[in-house]
Amino acid sequence: MHQIDSKIRPRLIQGDKSITDVSNDICRPIENKATAAWKLGFGISLLFLALLGGTLFWTTWTGIGVWHLNNTVMWGWDITNFVFWVGIGHAGTLISAILLLFRQKWRMSINRSAEAMTIFAVMCAAVFPLFHMGRIWVGMYWVLPLPNAFGSLWVNFNSPLLWDVFAITTYFTVSLLFWYLGMIPDIATVRDRAKTKSRKFWYGFFSMGWNGSARSWHRYEIVSLILAGISTPLVLSVHTIVSMDFATSVVPGWHTTIFPPYFVAGAIFSGFGMVLTLLVIARKVMNYEDYITIGHLEAMAKVVMLTGTLVGIAYLTEFFIAAYSGVVYEQYAFINRATGPYWWAYATMMSCNLLAPQVFWFKWCRTTPWFLFMMSIIVNIGMWFERFVIIVTSLHREYLPSRWAMYVPSWVEVGIFLGTMGLFFTCFFLFAKFLPVINMSEVKSILKSRE
Amino acid sequence: MTENKKYWKGEEDLVRDPSFIHSAKNEFSEGLPLEEVLSEDDFELSSNRRDFLKMFGFSVTAVALAACNKAPVRKAIPYLVKPNDVTPGVPNYYSSTCGYTGMPIEVKVREGRPIKVDGNGRCATFGGALSVAGQAGIFDLYDNERIKKPLRKGVDSDWATVDKEITTLLTKISAANGRIALVSNSIHSPSTLAVIEDLKTKYPTVEHINYDPISYHGLIEGNNLSFGKSVIPSYHFDKAKVIVSFGADFLGDWLTAEKFTKDYTSKRMPGDDMSQHIHFESNMSLTGSNADIRYPMQNKNQGMLLISLYNEIAKVTGSKQMAVAGQADVAGQGVSKTAKALIAAKGNSLVVCGSNNPQYQVIVNAINMALGNYASTININNPVNLYTGNDETFNSFVTDLTAGKIDGVLFYGANPVYSHPNGAQIKKALKSNVKLSVSSSISLDETSNSCQFVTPDHHYLESWCDYQPVGSTFTLGQPTISPVFDTRQMQESLLTWAGAIDAYSENTMKDNGIYGQEHSVSPFYNYIKSKWSVTDKEFNTYLHDGFVIKDTPTISVPGMIANTDEIASEIEKSKSAADGIEITLIEKTGMLGGVLSNNPLVQELPDPISKVTWHNYIALSKMNAVRLGINDNDVVNITVGETKMVLPAIVQPGQANGTASIHLGFGRTVAGKVAKGRGENAYALIQAGAKFNSYVVNGAKVEKTSTGETYELARTQTHHHIEGRDIVRETTLEDYKKDNRAGNRYEKPELVSLWYDHDYRKAGAPNHLWGMAIDMNKCTGCAACIVSCSIENNVPVVGEVEVRRRREMHWLRIDRYFTFNNVKDVNYKEELDAVSKMVPENFEPKKLTREKALEAIDRKLAKDENAGYEHFENVSVVHQPMMCQHCGSAPCETVCPVLATTHSTEGLNQMTYNRCIGTKYCGNNCPYKVRRFNWFRYNDNSAFDFHFSNDLGKMVINPDVTVRTRGVMEKCSFCVQRIQSAKLTAKRENRSLEDGDVKTACQKACPADAIVFGDLHDKESEVTKLFHNERGFAVLEELNVKPSVRYMTKVRNI
Repeated sequence: MHQIDSKIRPRLIQGDKSITDVSNDICRPIENKATAAWKLGFGISLLFLALLGGTLFWTTWTGIGVWHLNNTVMWGWDITNFVFWVGIGHAGTLISAILLLFRQKWRMSINRSAEAMTIFAVMCAAVFPLFHMGRIWVGMYWVLPLPNAFGSLWVNFNSPLLWDVFAITTYFTVSLLFWYLGMIPDIATVRDRAKTKSRKFWYGFFSMGWNGSARSWHRYEIVSLILAGISTPLVLSVHTIVSMDFATSVVPGWHTTIFPPYFVAGAIFSGFGMVLTLLVIARKVMNYEDYITIGHLEAMAKVVMLTGTLVGIAYLTEFFIAAYSGVVYEQYAFINRATGPYWWAYATMMSCNLLAPQVFWFKWCRTTPWFLFMMSIIVNIGMWFERFVIIVTSLHREYLPSRWAMYVPSWVEVGIFLGTMGLFFTCFFLFAKFLPVINMSEVKSILKSRE
Repeated sequence: MTENKKYWKGEEDLVRDPSFIHSAKNEFSEGLPLEEVLSEDDFELSSNRRDFLKMFGFSVTAVALAACNKAPVRKAIPYLVKPNDVTPGVPNYYSSTCGYTGMPIEVKVREGRPIKVDGNGRCATFGGALSVAGQAGIFDLYDNERIKKPLRKGVDSDWATVDKEITTLLTKISAANGRIALVSNSIHSPSTLAVIEDLKTKYPTVEHINYDPISYHGLIEGNNLSFGKSVIPSYHFDKAKVIVSFGADFLGDWLTAEKFTKDYTSKRMPGDDMSQHIHFESNMSLTGSNADIRYPMQNKNQGMLLISLYNEIAKVTGSKQMAVAGQADVAGQGVSKTAKALIAAKGNSLVVCGSNNPQYQVIVNAINMALGNYASTININNPVNLYTGNDETFNSFVTDLTAGKIDGVLFYGANPVYSHPNGAQIKKALKSNVKLSVSSSISLDETSNSCQFVTPDHHYLESWCDYQPVGSTFTLGQPTISPVFDTRQMQESLLTWAGAIDAYSENTMKDNGIYGQEHSVSPFYNYIKSKWSVTDKEFNTYLHDGFVIKDTPTISVPGMIANTDEIASEIEKSKSAADGIEITLIEKTGMLGGVLSNNPLVQELPDPISKVTWHNYIALSKMNAVRLGINDNDVVNITVGETKMVLPAIVQPGQANGTASIHLGFGRTVAGKVAKGRGENAYALIQAGAKFNSYVVNGAKVEKTSTGETYELARTQTHHHIEGRDIVRETTLEDYKKDNRAGNRYEKPELVSLWYDHDYRKAGAPNHLWGMAIDMNKCTGCAACIVSCSIENNVPVVGEVEVRRRREMHWLRIDRYFTFNNVKDVNYKEELDAVSKMVPENFEPKKLTREKALEAIDRKLAKDENAGYEHFENVSVVHQPMMCQHCGSAPCETVCPVLATTHSTEGLNQMTYNRCIGTKYCGNNCPYKVRRFNWFRYNDNSAFDFHFSNDLGKMVINPDVTVRTRGVMEKCSFCVQRIQSAKLTAKRENRSLEDGDVKTACQKACPADAIVFGDLHDKESEVTKLFHNERGFAVLEELNVKPSVRYMTKVRNI
């Protein structure tokens, strides 16, 4: 069958790949020995992971006083990092669930890694709410259903922190299931190609007896759709609930009804930023340029620009509402953000999130990988600062001026953040080495090859 | 034959092989293969099963033993035989007297441990007032760095040895007619003075010298010059309509400030009767911050200002003016305005002066004479005996000591090596010039460290004593705990050395315990009883009450004998012309000039004005700071003549231009871990004159260090401006008289709540609903409440580093805000106009406009460089105590995921520490920011070794209040333990709670009676009435969190 290329839309998969090529290309990192670059990257990640272990141990052993929070600013880098990581996760779910429902086929070559990113990011995020607790050893009884002798541990269903626990655990569970389910046919492919005993065993175990029958594929498609259906509201709900950690409070600068949509937009923005960061590198290093094409990058750049602008509008709306409200505390909270002692954080946030993505109006900016990489880092920085601005600059100057205070993180807090980077990249390197990074079976379905 | 039979175990035994005999003695003849196991180079063990079992047994036992060793031993020993008057869990209260401040007190004792000290409200002379020092002093009892036994040449000794040697030396010196000085802090105990007389009888060369680190010599000598009476008179601030103070911090640390606070605030209720308070001073003091009108002045002008004030008054009254050239005045015609106010209140006014210059005090006396105040507000016949130190006597003692004219020195509580400007000379003389030096102090200090013998004194809570703080009032001190260490009351030591102890050593305690335990009676108890010569019954009544008030001597007008003209001309001549900055040395609240500098509570207590803790500093006026290029926390070099000092600086609004101030009581070199090496000793700057010691130092040079180093002072409040927010409300008396709601007239928005009102909050509900009212007209910001709260609720002291990180744990804090107060004098009309234009004509809540206007003016003034920042000396202050507001719809409660903070049906916002996991969301969501998080384990932690970390220090812990572990949130509980205990008492007595049954710790401690606590469902309760008072307002009411604390609008009598 001769293939007809569209004149206005390039092929999704380039390089004139055959189905065999796809299997060969994508299984190559799994079947070959680890490269030096992988070993180096993995080693550095492990170092940072060790830093995470050390700093968390130090925190738990000594008390969270080793962080420089105080009785005015009781949340600082911890919750900033939590929201940052949770936000990053959102792109994965959006790509795999919503784009699946919308039958966006371009997602097929990036959804696997985006979902992996989601899972690893949520793992990193979970570190913070756990370890920011003053008594994690008691807190565990609420978070995990451990047997205990405390009697009834009735929780407060009014508290957004509790909603958070439900939201994040649901999110993690569904994402993990969705990711794993989508991987089963590919794991089976690796199993079928496996030459060593252990690989045969493990990939066989995890492919759960996949036999590629029509019935299997049918079930697979149905479950995927159902899971996508479940995941779709999660894209909106998780960050909505995270935003309610702030929105339901009385803190000027937090107490805002705009927070749910604003946070969701911000989450997708930062998530796509992170996907870009990872894929620009991965496609180069792993020679996947034919699978993750410039077209993919461009599409993501467009999403980044859209969501960045949405977030920017939210920033401006907040200012307007504060001015319009006539509440002095609210007004001051926003004036203080822009002109107070943390003005530099606000300036960073504004320029990275609202101004910087506007360059994507230009095609060159959307299609130049190194530039995209740079922009993705800027987006990540901007979104981290957004959370810092919301949390710290609101808290440090609240209602009573007598309690105004400053907050500067300690090395432990910085260490924990760098450590979660270590955790994230350790997981990602393991994923890149041991699991198919691109969804082979789906990609094969969109090949317009000679066969 | 059978008994000779010998059994052998084997052939080896039979043949008695020597190697076998040797190994038979050794149980483990083969040895344990420990080395093999411990060396890691070989994992292949060659040992067999039995070895394995041996090793296994050994390791299990060893591990078990090691584990046993580590287990903490906690002692909880019940009474084997319960004393009749001690019921575990029920406190006993004893009347006593505070050894630091001379105030009658009630001591709360739990199972033999005194745990809290409060003022004795039954004593009318002082009305139950107790200052910061009085509250905090209990910590010194449980200081594990106290001297534990007598020391001889710095080495532990025993009483018999030191007594023998001291007696021998005393006899020897006395026989050789050598002079012996007994240097004590001012003693106002009749029996102690009698003991000293006994000592003098035995050793005729003994002379008794009273010494006060903070001297009131000027006041005493001034009265001597004026009236021939070397006394401090009683001042009656409750009778004065107009109060004028020249640098006397009478609400802070001057004389019986706690009593003055009580009297002063009783006349501060807005109305026709409200007193007016005019204050002249250089540093911003606590008293100055409460003044209606405050005039910044340089102390070097003080004498001339006083003379001018006298002359202004004399002009009107028609008496003779003092002959001086020219008039002196402060900006804003302060002196003439003050003269007018005083004349208007003639006979009902009071002028006081804090200067230590006797000549100034003579002028003040002359002013009071001219105004007829000696017939009403000053009673010179009822003298205050708390301070009797004489600078002339002491300075000549120092001269004699250094000249080697004194052979023996006995120090009793006094620490002049630290607190006298010539301390170094005294120290040298003690080391080389004297044959005998003895110091009696409770912990090692600079003076006792330089003495041959240290005879440790009891803490006052372990001692018997009587006192006469004021002429008419006698109080008794009784021990409330057995001596903690091998210490002895100085009075008993003196009796021992005087050879008079045996007469009083009879054990009159016949009532031995059931098991025949011996209870002994202190000889000094017998001594006091013999001196009082009253019946046992009477004495026991006095002891029960804690005080006796004799007839107060009637007021009479003394005759002025001083030649005021001569003194005035001397003052005119002596006026300092020195260039440079004038430094005033002031007291740190509660530190008593260094006596309590080792007290962690006092160290951590923020200064009421600067809010600095744990360090002293030089407070500069903004004008001087800008000119010298100095900012907050810059370290500066201070040079006064030969003396140099390095201190961090702060810019203090209210500090008069050209002046600076430094706290005394820091820079201890020999002291406990809390005080040692903290700050600098500013006593070195005092100028010890022939006639008096001056606490005002002229001609100081202040400059930034060349390296530009900084020292971050630990402050509990770093933002001092109220930002135009409606947090405190105030008005003037004039406006208040026209409208009782003046300053408190707000259009209340219609508040909508998401929450249903709880049943227990509704009127008529059968439960209690606790509430608190705080009168900002009465609150002076003295901070006694903070200390009382901390002791009552086991609030940990966290230290300088943690305070610097803004982690102080005080459940109750006092917010302090500054605002410029010369709005009328400065032409900023355009701002006012501009702001009023922004607001529609008939807009009702005018407050908004006024605040916006003040805000605009403050901003402009703060940045106005043309004005040279001179206006920063002229500010007004508000103090606002802030604690958990126990909101009806508390934001903290809804956000806690684990229900660790919930509402009680009595309106209390409660913390359940057991449930708390430390998410800290409640703290973030508290609009009042009153929640305190335990960032570390502050108790039992060597990093926070202030008092909770050793067994002795823990004895002050209130057993009714949980000690919090790390990782949990805590905050004010409205003293729920006191509420519960009052409820139980009422239940036992089969009655309902009455208003006043529950007094919170802060309320009980407040010398101003500014805090009222009670049941809001009781229509007759005082707190309910205050809640309906026209002046009442809630902070941040518009948030609709329904706080249970209300504040009363501050009314200034301008």
